[in-house]
Amino acid sequence: MKRKVGALEKVDADLPNLQHKIKVDPISYQEDFVNQYGLYTSIHELFLTSPTTTDDTGLVRLRDLIDFISHTADCYPKIAGSFPNDLIKLLQLHHATLDPELRDKIVGSLVLLRKKDMIDSNTLLNTLWPLLVSTPSKSLRALLYQKIVSDLRNSNSKTTNHKLNRSMQTTCYNLIASDPASPKGIWAVKLTRELWKRQVWSDAKAVSIMEIAALSQEAKVVTGGVRFFLGGDQEREEAADEESDQEEKNISMGKLRHQAGINKKTAKRDNDLRAAAKKVKRNEKKKGAPHPLNFSALHLLHDPQGFAEKLFQQHLQPSQPKVRLNLEQKLFVLQLVSRLVGLHKLTLIPLYSYFLKFLTPRQPSVTSFLASLAQATHNLVPPDVLEPLVQKIANEFVSEAAAAQVASAGLNGIREVCVRQPLAMNETLLQDLVQYRKSKDKGVQMAARGLLSLYREVGAEMLRKRDRGRDAAMKVRSGEMDGARRFGHVEEGGIEGLELLEKWKEEQGQEGSEDEAAGWDNWDARSDSSESSGGWVNVESEGEEIDISDSEDEREKGAEKKRKMENARVKKAVGKENVDEDDKPAEKTPAKLEASQRATASLEPAAALKREEARVSTLATTRILTPADLAKLQELRQSAAVTASLPSAKRRKLQQDAAAKTAARHADDAVTAVDIEGLAKLSHKATKEEKVRMAKGLGLPNGATEDAGANDHRSTTARRKEKKAAEGKSTTNREKARKKNFLMTLGKAKRKGKRSLGETAKVLKAHVERGKRGGRRGNK
Amino acid sequence: MGSSTKKKNEKKKGDFQKTKLKVGKTRPTNTNATDTSFAAKSIVLKQQNLGESGRDATTLFNHNLSLLSSKNETQRRDALQYLTAACISFGVANLPQSPGAIIAKAQSLILDGNSDVRTQLLKLLKVLPTTDLGSLDQILLYARAGMAHLSNDIKLFALDIVDWLLVSSPETLMACPGGWIKMLRTFQNLLVWQGEAVNGVVTHGKWSATRSTSNKLGSSKLLVHQLNTLTMFLTAGLTPPPIDPLAEVKRAALVFPLLETQCHLLPAKSEPFGYLNLFGAVRDVESEVYADADERANIFNELGMLDIFKAGAREAKKEAGEVGRAASGLEKALRLAEVG
Repeated sequence: MKRKVGALEKVDADLPNLQHKIKVDPISYQEDFVNQYGLYTSIHELFLTSPTTTDDTGLVRLRDLIDFISHTADCYPKIAGSFPNDLIKLLQLHHATLDPELRDKIVGSLVLLRKKDMIDSNTLLNTLWPLLVSTPSKSLRALLYQKIVSDLRNSNSKTTNHKLNRSMQTTCYNLIASDPASPKGIWAVKLTRELWKRQVWSDAKAVSIMEIAALSQEAKVVTGGVRFFLGGDQEREEAADEESDQEEKNISMGKLRHQAGINKKTAKRDNDLRAAAKKVKRNEKKKGAPHPLNFSALHLLHDPQGFAEKLFQQHLQPSQPKVRLNLEQKLFVLQLVSRLVGLHKLTLIPLYSYFLKFLTPRQPSVTSFLASLAQATHNLVPPDVLEPLVQKIANEFVSEAAAAQVASAGLNGIREVCVRQPLAMNETLLQDLVQYRKSKDKGVQMAARGLLSLYREVGAEMLRKRDRGRDAAMKVRSGEMDGARRFGHVEEGGIEGLELLEKWKEEQGQEGSEDEAAGWDNWDARSDSSESSGGWVNVESEGEEIDISDSEDEREKGAEKKRKMENARVKKAVGKENVDEDDKPAEKTPAKLEASQRATASLEPAAALKREEARVSTLATTRILTPADLAKLQELRQSAAVTASLPSAKRRKLQQDAAAKTAARHADDAVTAVDIEGLAKLSHKATKEEKVRMAKGLGLPNGATEDAGANDHRSTTARRKEKKAAEGKSTTNREKARKKNFLMTLGKAKRKGKRSLGETAKVLKAHVERGKRGGRRGNK
Repeated sequence: MGSSTKKKNEKKKGDFQKTKLKVGKTRPTNTNATDTSFAAKSIVLKQQNLGESGRDATTLFNHNLSLLSSKNETQRRDALQYLTAACISFGVANLPQSPGAIIAKAQSLILDGNSDVRTQLLKLLKVLPTTDLGSLDQILLYARAGMAHLSNDIKLFALDIVDWLLVSSPETLMACPGGWIKMLRTFQNLLVWQGEAVNGVVTHGKWSATRSTSNKLGSSKLLVHQLNTLTMFLTAGLTPPPIDPLAEVKRAALVFPLLETQCHLLPAKSEPFGYLNLFGAVRDVESEVYADADERANIFNELGMLDIFKAGAREAKKEAGEVGRAASGLEKALRLAEVG
């Protein structure tokens, strides 16, 4: 008679086997599980009496039993209900004395139980987190940290688990807030940074944890918090890029399909193909999805002014701070403070006098101090606070006696400050500094030239007449530069290429509201229903409000007539404005630039210029630009860019490029010591040894890290050879042909001369054919 | 010659070369700077002495006792052999260590993987004097773990240990926390007497395998042993200790002028108030101490175990043969509980 036999009749002391069988058929093997659970309880009790002993002697180890039960507990939740609590208690009470392997197994089992939903994430994290903070064992900490991060990532993978995140963030916050002087806070910092990088936490609460970390009283925690603000967002971007790179790399659907056609068809391969297709689709969907809004940590700060003030007052200003920070750490804090000041345009007057004592060439990392100073400068800083600083830099760094590197660093620093607040410079000093462009040293020369070109743009009248250059001199003559140098003056924004659009409209005679309506219709047809903000442009409502009924009345009138009307009205408006704010200074939009250039070219009086300006600004202020308009605007901008690239406009284009380069540096980007040092590199004269080394391609001596490509003095062939070697290839065919023994080539050369006409034709034909195919092997 | 002068010159030059200082960079470290960043490391030696010469019997005894936790199984077995021989030669009265201490060391070998070690352990236990075994709750824990063990050999061996305990000191055994109900639960689990539907084929609306009472086809050795031990256990637990009518008189005569002397003396056994559980974890029904036979019978009935065991025994009796005989013995023992 056949019957189903119990598990242990066949498997003696074979837990993995039993585990497998239980998973397949839990009901039949319940008794075996009960037995094992009984064994576990008794061994567990034994263990509790002496938790320090290792249990390696017996046949069955507690470790194995825990492993077995945690794998199968979800099949018998009633019997093994108390199992998770047992483990938690064991870990909490004895984690310091447990055998490391058993301890790790318990942690792993708890995570497994979480995966099987025997316990919830909150319980798990509440168990692991206090251990992470308190345990003396390094390996356990690493394990716990990894498990905590992965659990948080998992529970946030499908949807954001707000409840869990909030509770965890509160725990982290409280850890630092409750005891700011303890080094335990570093774990909160580490966790937050990791989850920020993975975009699991990207809200203001996470930032507030870092905020309080930066204000704590432990050097490591402080630097952790500060470095997060300085580099956390960059790290996040890099991680995101890496992820997308990896996804793109691996699958090419065509290749897989081709392989599936060739290989033997099995169910497994079919499934693989299907899975690959699904993955590709998923990736594509992800690519199409709108980019998640990631605010940088600096923008999510609740109270930047307060934060910057506290940071400065706690860590930098006092002579005996509560936390002793070394120079490097202090520099980090300083960088953050100056970044905050620059980014949010905060007012922190004592910061500038703080800089004063560090600005000497002998100060270590003085370039970082210079960079921080430049960063902390913005157009709302009172110039009289900055002036002594600039003066001091000039006095200490820039002199004939100072080394060339020092001088160029100083000049560069001054320039970076003055870019942000041109009013910090006085006339005599500027004229003095500009003289250094005649210096023999290249670095100093370039730095001084940088300063000169800056002031040609922002304050040409401060320069000597012969230094002003053509464009700036013309501008000064036409009186365009008058109002620019005034403290607190803010430039208006504009829309690039708007005047092109208006001109085009004028030419088309298209200004009626019918066309406008058509533009909107068009937009409705094209756009998604969800994204309504895509096609809109914020209209500056400064001048006057938009009167739609007005334009409807004028529907029948000709385009020409209407333009006149509008001009008249706008002139009125401008007049009104002029009454309000006396003599509005000139704007600097590109539109204006071009207009001004036109004006200067024909040397028209300034009044004509004003009129032109007024005409341009009407379009944006009198009507809402339809999406059709915007599309046209884009088109016009591009075509204008094409015409600009013609040789006649070459010089202007170069200038624009330089301007664009400075503009491309986002306001969020930090100024670093490298920016200041940049030109100092030019002052460095290579010694003979260095030159020889570079010629050999060995790089610079004693680890001076500079761009390898820039200082590679080797021949092209040597470089190409190295590149090939790096790719794991040998030489090119061309090189092989060149190196071939002369005698070996003789035979072919002889033969070649004696070929018949038919043979030659054949060879030539074959050559053409090969070219068509794309090489000998055919690059299909 | 030329090259050597060149080298010499280079070396000389090197000594006087000035290191370049760069603006904004940290100073290069001095050539004579001392690195103080490392931390001290220590070496730990484990003490172990394997020589046996020149030591007296007591030290040797203790040494062998410590060898019981050795990693090597032959060493464990040899140590057990030595201890057995020593116990016999020393005699009951003057053992270097108390039997309790010996048991405390040896009990973990109940779960030992090697059968030689286990048999030797049983031999050692049997030569130990039964008078002063001390608290038995630890060895009971090990015995229970052994009874539920995966390996059949260890299961059988653990039953042997329980038998020995029941023979040598049943009263102490019953006085252990969890000595009564937990043991019974263990038996219940082992025999798979779960109460509801003994023929329980259908559980949770799903079909499953029929339960087999014997663990190996044709061989019912383990089952028989389990039933026999259970019978012994129940008998020991449910029979009230024989009251010696003359005991009271004898004791009174011994300390004639005084009354109730032993109540005022310092207790002779270790941990005399252990049963009160003043400092341990709170016990539940299962790990509670049930002091006398009546109490044990009551709790046995209350938990409904009597019915389950009866039903189980009835089922087992149907198997006839050795198993049936053992089961009928068990039924007899169960009648003790009924009376109570």
